[in-house]
Order: sequence, then C-alpha cells, then structure tokens
Amino acid sequence: MRWLFIFAGCLLLNLGVFAEKLEYHKVYTPQEGMSAEEIMKIMYHNKYSLFARDYQQTGEVLYVDPSGFTRKRVWKRQRIVKAGQEGISYKDLVVMTYPTELKGLAVLTWTYEDPQKDQNVWLWIPSLKKVRKISASEDDDAFMGSDFTVEEVSTRRFEDESYKLIGSKNFPGYKFEHTGEVKFKDKPCFVVECTPLKPHWYYSKRIVWIDKDTGGNIFEEYYDKNGKLFKTLFREWVWTDLGDKKYPSQISLECKDLRTNHRTVILMEDTKYDQDLSEYDFTVKALMRSRW
Amino acid sequence: MRKVLFLGLLFLGGNLWARPVNENLEYAGYLKTEFWLKNYNDESHLSLSSFKNTFDLEVEYKLSENWAFFFHPRFFYDFAYDLREDFNSNFDRNQFKMGHTQRTEWLRDCYLDFTSDKLDIRIGKQQVVWGQADGLPFLDRVMPFDLSYYWLYDFADIRIPLWMIKVEYSPELNSTLQFLLIPDFEASRSAPAYAPFAFKANNDWYDFKTSYNPLLTIYRPPKQFENSRVGLRWRSILGNDIEYTLNWLYGYSTSAYTYTDSYASLQFSRRHKLMHMIGFSFNKSFVEPGLLEGWTIRGEFAYFHNEPTYYGTDGYRRRTERTDKYTYVLGFDKTFFTNWVFSLQFAQFIHDKKTFGGYQLLNTYTYGLLEKVENYLTLKVSTDFMHERLKPEVLIIYNDDNDGRISFKAKYELRDNFWLTLGYHHFWGPLGGSNGQFRNNDHLVLEAKYTF
Repeated sequence: MRWLFIFAGCLLLNLGVFAEKLEYHKVYTPQEGMSAEEIMKIMYHNKYSLFARDYQQTGEVLYVDPSGFTRKRVWKRQRIVKAGQEGISYKDLVVMTYPTELKGLAVLTWTYEDPQKDQNVWLWIPSLKKVRKISASEDDDAFMGSDFTVEEVSTRRFEDESYKLIGSKNFPGYKFEHTGEVKFKDKPCFVVECTPLKPHWYYSKRIVWIDKDTGGNIFEEYYDKNGKLFKTLFREWVWTDLGDKKYPSQISLECKDLRTNHRTVILMEDTKYDQDLSEYDFTVKALMRSRW
Repeated sequence: MRKVLFLGLLFLGGNLWARPVNENLEYAGYLKTEFWLKNYNDESHLSLSSFKNTFDLEVEYKLSENWAFFFHPRFFYDFAYDLREDFNSNFDRNQFKMGHTQRTEWLRDCYLDFTSDKLDIRIGKQQVVWGQADGLPFLDRVMPFDLSYYWLYDFADIRIPLWMIKVEYSPELNSTLQFLLIPDFEASRSAPAYAPFAFKANNDWYDFKTSYNPLLTIYRPPKQFENSRVGLRWRSILGNDIEYTLNWLYGYSTSAYTYTDSYASLQFSRRHKLMHMIGFSFNKSFVEPGLLEGWTIRGEFAYFHNEPTYYGTDGYRRRTERTDKYTYVLGFDKTFFTNWVFSLQFAQFIHDKKTFGGYQLLNTYTYGLLEKVENYLTLKVSTDFMHERLKPEVLIIYNDDNDGRISFKAKYELRDNFWLTLGYHHFWGPLGGSNGQFRNNDHLVLEAKYTF
C-alpha cells in the first residue's frame, strides 16, 4: 500500500511538472495516464534535444525520385541549448559539406523560447563570401528542397496544434525503403491526433505515433483538407548511451510524398552530446570564419 | 602545347584528386566551361564573346584545433580569342589581358588561420567583405574589383584578393572588433578597350590614343609598409535583435583616376589617391508577430572623403577634383508564396558638388553626365523547383536616368557533381549610363560545371 502511495505521489508530481514547462537538461519519457498534451510536450522536448547541453552530428539527406535517381546533401550540425537565457531556447549551426557546389553554405539560427517569435537566421553565402541576415523560411516551404517542410524539421512548436489522444496501440511496423528493413514492429505507442491551429494550412490533421519508450514521434500520417492521406513520415528513435546517462536520438528519417512518390531519407551519424561546445561557435563571427 | 597540357589536367584532375587524403586535409574544386554569346552583332565583335574554361581547387589543412592553412588556386583559359583570331579585330588583341590568368591572379586565397573564442587572426592572401547590400559595393570597398565582365560575376569572383592581416577580437560574445592591415596593393581593373564589357571611357581613350599618341604615366603607390591601408570595423548586436557595424577605412584608393598633366603636350596620368571611408551598416529581422513579421530590413551608409571625381562636358573629362560623396542603401527582404524570396533595395549616391569650375559631374565608366543625386532601385527574386534541383533567379537594377539591366539565371543540378546554368543579361539606357553603355551588348551565358 505504501508503494502505491509513493507511486501515486510521484505520478502527481510528474503531472504537476508537465502542467508547466518541461525543464531543460532533463530527460522525460511519456507515462501511462498522461494526456495528449503532456505526451506531445515530451515529444517536442526530445525532438529539439532540450535534455542536452549541446550536441553535434553529421547528417545526410537523400532525395529519391520515383525512378530511383538519387541526389545527396551532407551537413554538419551543432546545437547549444541556452535554456531560456536571454529568451533563447537554443542556437543551431548547420554547415553544408557536400556536394561541392554547396560546400561551405552555413546557417546560424537562434530559436526563442517565446513560441510567437520567429527564428533569427544568418546565412554564410560562399559565392559572396559574406554573411546575410535572412528572413526565416516559410513554415510550409520544403526543408532544403526535401519532402519535409521547414516546420516538420525545425520550427513546429507544441503551441501550433491542438491534440486528441486516440489511444495506446502497438505500431504495425514501417518498411524503411532505404534499407528494406521493417522497423519498430509491435512497438507500444501512444497515438495522438494533431490539428493545426493555423487556418487553411497544408494539412488538416496528422496522426502521430509516439514511442512509449523514447517519447519519439516514430510515425506520422498527414491528411489533406479532404481527409486524404498524402504524406507519411518515419523517424527512427534510439537511446544513445553516454555511460552515466542516456538520451533519445533520431538516427534516420524517411518522408514519402504519396502524391508524387518522391521520398527523402535523412541519415544521422556521429551524434555526440554534452561536448561542452563554446557559445562563441554560434556567433556571426564564427560564420565568417568559413573558408569555403 | 601548353593549352593541350592545361586541358589534359582539367579533365584528368577530377578523377585523380577526388579522394580524401586524411581527416586533417580537405579539398574541393571544380572544372567549369562557360560560353558567353552576344545577342546583338555590331562592328566590334561577333557573337562568341567568351569560351572560358576554369580549373579551381581549394585545399584546407588543419594543423591543430586552432590553426589551419587554406590554399586556393584558380586558372582559366579563354578559347574565344583563339577561335576568333582570323577576324583580326580589336577583340583579339585583348587576349593578353583577357584570354588567360594574369600574373598572380591564379592565387585566390593563401592564408594561415588562427581561431579561438575571443581572438581570430588570418594572415595571408584573402578577401574581406563589408556591408549589407546586394550587388552595390558601397561599404564593400576593402578589396579592389576586377570588372572585366562588369558586375556580372558573383562578387566573390569579382573581388581581387590581397595579402593582409585580419585580426578579430571579441571582448564579449556577440561583439567583435576587426582590424585590417593591408600592405599589399592591387588596383581595381576594368576590361581593356573593345573587350566585350569594356567601359565606354576605355574605348574612347583607346581611340584618342590611336589618333593623337598622348603620353600616359601610371603612378601606383609603392608596396611599402608605410603605404599600407588600414581598416577598423566594430560589429555588435543591440538587444538580440539589431545587428550593426561601424566601419573606417584609410589608404590609397584601389581605383586609379585619370589626371590631365598638360593639355598642350598631351600628358596624362593615372593616380591612386589617399582617401577615407567612414560608414555603418545594420540589419534587423522582424521576428515578433505583427505587420512586419517575416521582413528583414538592412542598410548601409558610406561617406567617402577626398575621393577623386571627374568633371567635364557630356562624354569628355576635363578635370579631376577631390570631393566628398555619400552613399546609402536600404534593403527589404521577405519570402512570399512559400518559397519566393523577394529582395528590394533603394540606394542613393550623393555627390558633394554637381559642378566644378563650370564643368558637370561625370560618370567614371562612361564620362556621361551625372546628377548630384543618383537613385537606384534593385529587385532580386529567387525561388526553386523540383526539390531545389532547378533554381531560377532574376535581378533587376534600375537607375532613375532609365538606365538598368535585367540578369536572369537558372541553375540546374544534373547530378550532385554536375551543374548547368543558363543566364541572360539585358541592358538598357543612355549611352552615357553605367548600364546603357552596354545596351547593344546583351549576352546569353551557358555554363557547365563539374565539381569534385
């Protein structure tokens, strides 16, 4: 009986935390009994790696057209989590390393805590050898020309949608076309229906499968205004073991446009957390160091 | 024979070098072929203006976490002059200046880099860029320019790199003081007479020289330490939002100015003069909800003290006098319709004196008459299609004398390492206008680029 009270107490304490903002630099996972909002808050917390102090990784994007013809981009990404200091949630630096034509192109982004505020974005343009402050991309624009939109990768916030918990289900599995493997078959998930608050948005609703283990959004189905499924998005979430702690990480993504049969694969590797990155590497001066 | 060897290197190079050596050594480069086809035929040259082949290599070697060495050679050879030598026109005589890489121009970058949180030092041949404007070099005056193809190439390719020391010190996170010491000197260049984009003033001088055989003496500041140009720039951010710079540059002008030393004996000289430039720039993105959300506003102002200026009558320079000039540009950028980026700029070029000794202010490129205040509007629109495989853009530059140009460019990614570009430059305006002088000089540009 005593354990029951302790468990209930912990649960209430946990729910109390979720009613407010999630704390930076802490790992959260979804629990049974949580509301759709609480589950989605954890998902966003994990998606933007707000549990870590910093991280870096190498990413590869493959654009695959229906004939199988593939183009590739490779980048190096670094993020420092500012945890709300000076109103900033985190700062990102993405540097393109492949193909040569885009090598050196670098984007510095400051994302604010206030969900109403757009990001501040600076771009290093190798053809001008110059930094340009640019307007943030439109949220429904394709992210680097891929099948993902900008908001699906980097700007969507918890506050942008309303949520309804559909229930708990085992994920039927996803055939990752890049390797042919079936991933996450029978993985226990929460299923949440998300409806955008913006009127006339590019989707009318999406169904999101949240992995109960990592809190990651492993699968999303996008529906148009006629209720027709037009896009699916798969994310492979795993635990990264750091010895004394472990963090949830995305290692591969696949987005399929069902209207065009075009798909985009993102593969991430060499992910490192809490490397004590210097905030000086997230300044305009650092962008100007680019040699390419 | 040398051409054959050069071509051989171009086409073998990609396969030989496209392999990493080790994790500290990184390289990239390209082979590029471009055709410039003149749309209007006139007496001066036929349709093929340029058949330029370029080899470019960039090598970075990381000596340690803080130290790196960067080396960037580039060579080109323009076959148009060989293909057209049978015409024996003025065009062909320019092969020595336009047909292949000149002197030390092959070395685009060669520097040693030290980087740390607070202090960055870059020593060697490099480019330094100031300002916020697109395509209008008001504050961007640290480097000399190579205007052999007018302003049509990317600015990184138009600037002439210099040997210099650049020190950047950050007393706090987002604030940096930049100090430049430039002992090297190169003069800005323009195309020789009767080259495809030769300025009218150059063509006129060539004709005058041919008829009257005047004496021209060129004075360049000796490459001595005391003649070094110096620059300072303070860059900071006000309240996470407004980024600004304060700039100062002092030294010999990179442009040479023509002086008449003696009318009677037809003695002329080209001289570089000491001058000051003081300026500032700023930018702000509106990230808060509201009417201006999504807009980025940027601007720059530059004041030139003691810059030589031409005065005369329409088409004829009579005097060169030192005056002051003020320039500013305001830019407004926003993305519309999901992925259409619009960038509008308004600029003014204000001269201190419209007349001098009864003579009118003249355009440096053409000796055409100028107003005291010249107004410019530019608009750049860019977008992408086919998952960023096709990227078209158009740039319109318009001056209030109804002088301007439209440059269209569409870039297509055939493979990761193979890119095609189609461009077109259309000029209009009075003969004495900066763009109008090329009104009979529209060009179609085709480019194929193999990268490694």
